[in-house]
Amino acid sequence: MMLLQQAPPDTTGYMIAGYVVIFGVMMLYLVSIAVRRRNLERDMEVLKELDKKDS
Amino acid sequence: MEPKPRLLAILDIVTTALFVVAVGMVFFYAPTEAVMGQVQRVFYFHVSAGWVGMLSFLTAAVAGIIYLRTGRRHWDIIGLSAVEIGIAFIFVNIVTGSIWARPIWNTWWTWDPRLTTATIMELIYAAYLMLRQGIEEPERRARFGAVYAILGFVSVPLTFMSARLFRTIHPVVIGTNQPGAEGSFDMTPKMLQTFMFSLLTFTFIFIDLLWHRVRLGRLADRVEEIKLKVTV
Amino acid sequence: MKEDIQFAERTPYGISNLFHGTRPFLRALVAIIWKDLAAELRSRELLSAMLVFALLVILIFNFALELDAGARATVTAGVLWVTFAFAGTLGLNRSLAMEKDRGCLDGLLLAPVDRSAIYFGKAIGNLIFMLIVEIIVLPVYSVLYNTNLFHPGLLLVILLGSLGYVAVGTLLSTMAVQTRTRDVLLPILLFPLAIPVLIAAVKSSTGFLQGVEMVEIRPWLNLLLVYDVIFTTVAFMVFDYVVEE
Repeated sequence: MMLLQQAPPDTTGYMIAGYVVIFGVMMLYLVSIAVRRRNLERDMEVLKELDKKDS
Repeated sequence: MEPKPRLLAILDIVTTALFVVAVGMVFFYAPTEAVMGQVQRVFYFHVSAGWVGMLSFLTAAVAGIIYLRTGRRHWDIIGLSAVEIGIAFIFVNIVTGSIWARPIWNTWWTWDPRLTTATIMELIYAAYLMLRQGIEEPERRARFGAVYAILGFVSVPLTFMSARLFRTIHPVVIGTNQPGAEGSFDMTPKMLQTFMFSLLTFTFIFIDLLWHRVRLGRLADRVEEIKLKVTV
Repeated sequence: MKEDIQFAERTPYGISNLFHGTRPFLRALVAIIWKDLAAELRSRELLSAMLVFALLVILIFNFALELDAGARATVTAGVLWVTFAFAGTLGLNRSLAMEKDRGCLDGLLLAPVDRSAIYFGKAIGNLIFMLIVEIIVLPVYSVLYNTNLFHPGLLLVILLGSLGYVAVGTLLSTMAVQTRTRDVLLPILLFPLAIPVLIAAVKSSTGFLQGVEMVEIRPWLNLLLVYDVIFTTVAFMVFDYVVEE
């Protein structure tokens, strides 16, 4: 009777695609926060300089 | 620049650890499902991403209510951050839902009520951002955003119910009499554990990301302040 | 009568408030509705735009869908509601835009009137315009496609559906008109939120038109009712925050 059990279909490709999306999007979001942070910190530096010059 | 609070640093570590364990569980601990094969593993993070989407929506709505009552900027930043996170994770939810559907029902899209509702939620999020983009004054932007976040949240259960009612009349995947047509399968204890752990992990991820994003928002505000001071 | 009012003014809370609160409120409400109706009667800008637009949409559907008699039966409700949704958007946009452009909105806000009177006044005005358009479109559609659309059930659905649509739409158009992107923004904001209304309206309309059992139509009607109540309440509660200056 064990012979009647089929192996599950090979859907590994889809699983990989799914996880590429999951990790990819999460990574992208993290990177976006990091990049924005860096840009803002840089702006902050510049502005602080300007502010010092004014006062 | 606000220094990173100790609690956040700890949260980062805990969240990362949880995530590593969750991934391990998904790939090595959970068994392979008999009918669907490997692609079923996508389910754990697919649902967890959807869960984060719901948390985000709820957070945005509550933050909206509190903002309207108190007028404190902090809550607007929380609302916006929550929406951003929601957009990312609901996107994951929708796309993984589609990828999961493909090998099983041979279609890229099923008008499954949950998937349909998720898509509409994504559209509401997008509309929220477009609404904000069309407003110059920060105060009005925050107020209108808050109102829309509340309305959006209220609409979700109604949308879900109408999609589900629609679906009971129109079985969408034509020619499918597989019992798994709703995407349900029996979960063995190991699967259930993996599932619950994934939900827990993603809850931590949500809080961690939210905190980081809110800090970013506050930094942006401070930059704006100095910008105004310097250019005046 | 005068003695009653004077007596009411002297009693604490309760009756006095009710009396005091209601009459100016109702007066403001009626004034706002009447102002819109009267202005429209004179210029007929809004109604003609909505009407022409609705008829054009129906015409386009005729060519786009190539409906034979059979297909038409299943699709009529859908065509009607898409038409109503688009024409409704037009009306909502223009109604508030005219308000803002003529500076009436600011004037209304300065008046010592409960803000919710403005909301209900505009909403009821918008509802009336939408219903007028719908009442005209129905016979036109009936004639063009040789189907009888005058089913009392359908009329009920049109009322309930338009109510929900306008309840949310009035609030959203008040916001949209204050943004840079204005007209474009309203459909983007409105349609995702209005989906339950549209689905329920189309399904129950189809049900009535095809003589389906009431027991199958009832859940859709309930959904419409729930939506109307919930959203009218929520919209009315947040309206204040949308018109602050």
